[in-house]
Amino acid sequence: MSTFIDRAKCTCALGGALTTLLALPKAVPIVHSSGGCAGTLSNTYNLSAGYRGAGYCGGTMTPTSNIVERDIVFGGEERLEEQIINTLKIIDGDLYFVITGCQVEIIGDDAVGITRRFKDQKPAVLAASTPGFSGNSFVGYDVVLTTLVNEFIDQKSEKAPKTVNLLGIVPGQDVFFRGNIREITRLLSLVGIKANTFFGDGESIDKIKDYGDASLSIVFSENYGVTTAKAFEETHQIPYITADLPIGPTRTAAFLRKIGEQLVVEKEIIEAVIASESQYFFSYFERILDAYVDLDFQRYAIINADTAYAFSLTSFLADDLGWVPHLVVINDDIDDLKKKEYEHKFSQLGSEAKPKVVFELHAGQLIKHIRKSWPNNQNNKYYHSLSPAYLIGSSLEKDTAQKIGASFLSVAFPVTNRVVLDKGYTGFKGGLTLAEDLISELVSNR
Amino acid sequence: MSKKLTDGLTYDYLSAESAPTREDRIETCFAYGGSGHNLKEGIGNGCAKHNRRKFAQSGGCQLNLALGILSSFQNMAIILHGSLGCGSSHLSRSGLKKAAGASRNKKGSMDTVWIETNLDETDVISGGIEKLREAILYAETEYRPDAIIIASGCVPGIIGDDIDALSNELENQVSAKIVPVHCAGFKSKYVATGYDSAYHGLLKKLVDPRNRIHTTITDEIADANEKYLNSKTVNIFNVGSNSYGDEVELARLLKALDLNPRVLPLYANIDEISRISEAALNVSICATHDDYLLGHLKERFGTEYIIDTLPIGIKNTNRWLREIAKFFKLENEVEKLIALENAQLEEALEPFKEVLQGKTLFVGGGETRAFTTGEFFQSLGMKIVGVKSHNFDIFAVPMVDDVDKDDFVVSVAPGQPAEELNLLNRLRPDLYIGHSGANVWVAKLGIPTAPLFGQAFNFMGYSGAFELARKAVKSLQNTSLSKKLATNVALPLRQEWYESNPFDNIKDLEDVKQV
Repeated sequence: MSTFIDRAKCTCALGGALTTLLALPKAVPIVHSSGGCAGTLSNTYNLSAGYRGAGYCGGTMTPTSNIVERDIVFGGEERLEEQIINTLKIIDGDLYFVITGCQVEIIGDDAVGITRRFKDQKPAVLAASTPGFSGNSFVGYDVVLTTLVNEFIDQKSEKAPKTVNLLGIVPGQDVFFRGNIREITRLLSLVGIKANTFFGDGESIDKIKDYGDASLSIVFSENYGVTTAKAFEETHQIPYITADLPIGPTRTAAFLRKIGEQLVVEKEIIEAVIASESQYFFSYFERILDAYVDLDFQRYAIINADTAYAFSLTSFLADDLGWVPHLVVINDDIDDLKKKEYEHKFSQLGSEAKPKVVFELHAGQLIKHIRKSWPNNQNNKYYHSLSPAYLIGSSLEKDTAQKIGASFLSVAFPVTNRVVLDKGYTGFKGGLTLAEDLISELVSNR
Repeated sequence: MSKKLTDGLTYDYLSAESAPTREDRIETCFAYGGSGHNLKEGIGNGCAKHNRRKFAQSGGCQLNLALGILSSFQNMAIILHGSLGCGSSHLSRSGLKKAAGASRNKKGSMDTVWIETNLDETDVISGGIEKLREAILYAETEYRPDAIIIASGCVPGIIGDDIDALSNELENQVSAKIVPVHCAGFKSKYVATGYDSAYHGLLKKLVDPRNRIHTTITDEIADANEKYLNSKTVNIFNVGSNSYGDEVELARLLKALDLNPRVLPLYANIDEISRISEAALNVSICATHDDYLLGHLKERFGTEYIIDTLPIGIKNTNRWLREIAKFFKLENEVEKLIALENAQLEEALEPFKEVLQGKTLFVGGGETRAFTTGEFFQSLGMKIVGVKSHNFDIFAVPMVDDVDKDDFVVSVAPGQPAEELNLLNRLRPDLYIGHSGANVWVAKLGIPTAPLFGQAFNFMGYSGAFELARKAVKSLQNTSLSKKLATNVALPLRQEWYESNPFDNIKDLEDVKQV
């Protein structure tokens, strides 16, 4: 059984389904729910994911059945059918996808059944149950993609040996999802691998239909996207591996070697790419070294993020930027075994100091964990303080950073204090961008 | 006594657990297209009965409008009783409240503490009350808030969680006041019901004038002073869409009449709310928001109120001031003030009038703001080609006449950008002024836009009129962005839709046209 959450950094399954659909090229969500669900959830991602916007057909544009009390009593199936018919008439989409809210699932509307009446329709109309009470946004992401994998993507008996599907980067919940996908795709192409990305540049619903030809799925999370990867495995016989989000030189090199091994790419090719990307990284990173060492930009790092970012982000700070990883607080709602496995990753860090890793569901508890992690000043003449510190979290942590006198950058969702366009933090290049953002904060008072 | 907009309405609902919906309480319309005249005549003649669409798009939810009010209070914790997504708007508001409170000099203003009960499948079957209890006790021990507000969404609304019984039970176990607010989204199509739901909770649990402390040594002078101050105190009821700049401007005008303005309830603390009744007069700046609150305060404490117009533009600001002055018998004073303010403002507006003269405008948004903003730009020489109002009820009836001079189209639709873009594509106004969430579609259509409201803009009062005009002129000084967007960013509406009558989307509209 789940518990209450003090400031959850995600939305519900419907929200996750919606943010996923709004990131698919020219996909049109049809939300079978009360009138406000779609607008509210879409708006959350519009504003909190670095001002991502309503997109092609989100926000107030989102088609919705607008269920009211009368429908709760008599059922909302007729209203849904009418809404689907008129959406097809009015809205130009390459894929229509019905998702459902709490109200209609409690009263037992068969949205999937109603949608089946449109099964011969071109473009396709799909449906899935996504009531808020069925889980958080990550559940909604997997429900939408699993439905695509099982009902939309064509079966291919011939697999392309050097083609992979990228999963686990959840649009919106990963504020930098498009930039992150772009750089991973570029890196893979350097070693001769083509990536199917769902949400990246140049994708289309037609292309997604052909994703069945991949020979491997790479899931950038042990928790999110795995359900979809398993569906690829069962329906399309495509195996999967999980990988850490490759942020900066250390994690990206590890990622490329892992993929090279998995897809049997010659070692020389992988090493040549790592060498040239590394050379590129340091040719730019060198620029801030003078200031870094003269002004001492090394910081005690406190990281508050979800499992998609926490380890990779910490690794970048510890292994590439040379910071002291002090405390990692992770808000994900995952089981104890997964927590143990995740915690184990941090032993790979190259820094002498290893961080304390805490799983804490309640975002409001961060300040307590920080205080617990460091001895109080007992009015000592000589006090070894947690300073200079840098807090990397979501916009919700800005207050806490001020309280402890730490510098601050928002990277994890929600990000409301900066704008994100095509920026990403993956790859060697993403490491440069992240270093730029982190250290710009340190000189921004000039 | 002159006729009030609220004549015939009563406000004694506190014995019920929740406020009645707007549909039940006030005749209200949210699906109409045609002339302003027909709409005005239609209200009271069954226009509001239909309100159904063949193709609907997502508007708001009463829970979120209630949260807009409740989350603004100082040192109170919000518990979202529902599934995870209901309170997610707090994520997008992160950082905002602290800034809004700080600008209003609220001591120690913090970002909102909100707790989700995170109802899951098990809770849907066995009820969510135990989780809510844990959440309340957690809020109490972790944050020691002055009040814990329970905003209850659709799931508990359908499965029937008795949040009132739990509140009553815990009331004496925690030091915070517990405020249940019933705001399930499916209950009302008319999202403004959320304001009533929030104020219902506030009136029931937080408005609680304490008895005066009896002192052994009486201080007649202090008592007389307080009485005197209260006799000149005017409560200005702020709303989520007004800015701090608006509050400063409206307070400035009342101070000029030697009155004592007090702005509340948004961003107020528990003491200010509990003593809300200690004023000579309550004044609304937007009837859509607060007739439920003001009407009730009158019935319970006898505090007179004015619900008349939104002080936007010269005419409506004058009118708003005159109504208040009349109550205090300050008719002569207010005329002097108005004469001075209007003369200064008119002179300042001259250069803007030259730019705006003859240009066409379409305004979209909440009923009172859309119509009054339209009226103001009309007074500057613009031609109003259309108004899109999120809803239409008795409060906006007198405002239609202000814009009625021109032949203009009225669309009543909460959001519904498909209908709006269809209209705008035909009308192609020089400028569109609209609600947040609507402007982006219009800009993609290639029409220059300006926001109807915003936390950073002062659009009310005389200084607000100047700012509004300045904003419109600025938009027209460079319209290249919307032109670029029109050719480079696609809208999802089909060509056939643009060629069809947008109002065919409203069911039974024929009946309305015949009225």
